[in-house]
Amino acid sequence: MPYAVAGILTYLVLGVVGFVVRPGWLLGLLAVAAGAATLALWAPGFPPGLLLGETWGVAVGGDRVALVFWALALVLHLAVVLHERHRTGPFHPLLTLLVGTSLACAVSQDIFNFYVVLELVSLISFILVSYESEPKAVWASLKYLVLATAGMTFYLLGLGIVYVRTGTLGLALMAERVTQGDPVLVAGVGLLVAGLAAKSGLFVLGLWLPSAHGYAPTGVSAILSGLVVKLGVLGLARLAEVFPIEGLVLALGVVTGLGGLVYALWEWDIKLFLAHHTVSQLGYVLVGLGLGGEAAWGAVLYAAAHGLFKGLLFLSAGQAIYEVGERDLDRLRGKLSLPCALALAVGTWAIVGLPPLGGFVAKAVLADHSTAGWLAVLVVLSLGTAASFARLLPHFRSAGRGTRSRGFLLLELALLTMGVWGLVTFPGARDVGEWLKSLIVVAAGYGLHRLVHRQRVQLPALTLDRSFVLLLLGTLALVAVGLASWVLL
Amino acid sequence: MEAQGALALAIGLVGLGLWTVLVRRNLVWKLLGLNVAGGGAILFLVALAHREKAGPALEGVPGPHVDPLPQALVLTAIVIHFAVLALALVYVIFLSERRHTQDVRKLEETCPTRWPES
Repeated sequence: MPYAVAGILTYLVLGVVGFVVRPGWLLGLLAVAAGAATLALWAPGFPPGLLLGETWGVAVGGDRVALVFWALALVLHLAVVLHERHRTGPFHPLLTLLVGTSLACAVSQDIFNFYVVLELVSLISFILVSYESEPKAVWASLKYLVLATAGMTFYLLGLGIVYVRTGTLGLALMAERVTQGDPVLVAGVGLLVAGLAAKSGLFVLGLWLPSAHGYAPTGVSAILSGLVVKLGVLGLARLAEVFPIEGLVLALGVVTGLGGLVYALWEWDIKLFLAHHTVSQLGYVLVGLGLGGEAAWGAVLYAAAHGLFKGLLFLSAGQAIYEVGERDLDRLRGKLSLPCALALAVGTWAIVGLPPLGGFVAKAVLADHSTAGWLAVLVVLSLGTAASFARLLPHFRSAGRGTRSRGFLLLELALLTMGVWGLVTFPGARDVGEWLKSLIVVAAGYGLHRLVHRQRVQLPALTLDRSFVLLLLGTLALVAVGLASWVLL
Repeated sequence: MEAQGALALAIGLVGLGLWTVLVRRNLVWKLLGLNVAGGGAILFLVALAHREKAGPALEGVPGPHVDPLPQALVLTAIVIHFAVLALALVYVIFLSERRHTQDVRKLEETCPTRWPES
C-alpha cells in the first residue's frame, strides 16, 4: 500500500510542479518511470487497508483489477507522451494529473473517495477536451460537464442513502452490513449505478461521450477512450462485489453495446466513428462484468485490451486527420501515410478479435466463461463491430511514407505482448476452434457490411436536451428496475 | 423532525434544479439549475447526519450529537461543485464570444452532426 500511495503522490506532485517548470514531454516520461517503479514494488497486489487512521480512514486495496488498470494507464500514458512530444504549455502537466488521479481511482475501495477522484478526473478531462479552444470541442466539453455533473448529483444522493443504511463508506465493511430486502437501500444503489453509468458514457444515460471523445485533441481522445471511461465501469465492478446488481449491469451492457453499434454503423466522421465504438465495446465489457466470476476477469482483460487498441486507433486517426486535413471516412480513403495505415490496420485487427493480438485473447476468456444465451449476445456485438470496421478496409492502402511515431509502435508491441501472454496463460485461447470461430465472425461481419453499406440512415442527433431527458429517464428506469426486482424476488 | 423537513427541502431542490435544466434553453439558466440540484444533494447529506444513534465526534462533549462524517464529506463536494461551475462559466463566456448566443438550440445548430453534402 505505501508504494501505491507513493506512486500516486509522485504523479500528482510532478503534475503540479509541471505547471511551474514546464519541462514539456520529459515530465510525462518521468511520471511514467516513477509509476512503473512503484507498480513493480507493489506488483502482485496488496491487501485492503485503511489510509490515514483507523476508524475514519480511506479504504484502499490493490487487487488484480487495480494491477491491470495501472499497467494500462502507464502504457497508454507513455504512448501518448511519445506521440504528443511537440506539445508545450500545460498539456503534459494536465495529462500527468489526469493519469495520476486515474491511478488513485484504481486502488480506491471507498465510495466517497471514488466520487472525489472521479470528479477530479472529470474536471481535468473537461479542460483537456477543450484544450485547443475549438468551439466544437468546447461545446462537446460543456455537454460532457452538464451530463456528468447531473449524474454525479445522483451518485451523491445514492451515496447518502447507502451510508445511512450501512453506516460505512468502505466497500469491505459495507459487504458485511448489507441487509437483504431493504427498498431504501435498493433505491440508493440504483442511484449510485445511474451516476456511474452517466459518468462512464453508457448508452442512454451518458450520451456526451461520442462528441467529447470525437472532438478532443488526438492524445486526449486516446486517454479518455482508453482509460477514463473505464473508471466508471471500474466503479460498477466494485459495486457489483458488494451489491447484487448483476441484472442491472447486464441490461446496461446490452443497451450500450447495441446503441453504440447502431450509431457507429452510420457515422462518417472517423473520430466520432471510433468514439461510438468505445460505447459499443463498453457494452461488451459490461456484459462480462454482469456475468460475474471468471467472465468478469475476461471483461477486465477486454477493458485493458480495448484501452490499448482504441488508443492506437485514436492516435492513428488523429494523425491521419492532421496529415490529410479531412475527417470524413470517404475523403480519407487512400490518402493515409504508411505508419498511419499500419496502425489503423493493427488496431482494427485487434478490435474485431482476430488472433493473436490482445483483443482476441480477452474475447476468448470472456466467451469461455459465459453461458450459451449471453454468448449469442457477445457474438452479435462482435459481428456488428466487424461489420462497421469493414468500412476501414480501403483505408489500409497507404499513399506513401510518412512520419513514424513511437507511440504507434509502443501500442502495437503492447497489443502483441498481451496476445502472446494470453496465448501462453489461457489454454482456451490456443484452441483451433476458437481461432476458426473468430475468423467466421469477422467474415460474417464483412458480409453484413456488404449488405448494409449502401444504406444511409439518419439517426437522431445526440443533442444536450435529448441526452439530459434520457439521463433522467434512464435513472428512473434503473431505480424502478432495481425496486421491481426486489419486490419480485 | 427538523431533519425530515430538511430532507424534503433537499429533494425538492434537486427536483427544482433538474427541472430548470430540462426546460430552460439558456445556458446560464441550465448551469444555475445544475448548481441548485447539486446544492440539494449536499443538503441531503447534511440532513442525513441527523440520526438518533450518532456518537460524539470528540470524547466527553455533551449531546445531542450529529454524525460528523457527512459534514466532512460535503465540504469536499462543495469545493468540487464550485470548481465545476467556474469552469462551466468560462465555457459560456467563450461560446458567447464565438457564437454570440447562449441558446442551447442555436449552439447545437452551429455544431451539427449530420451527413456531409455529397
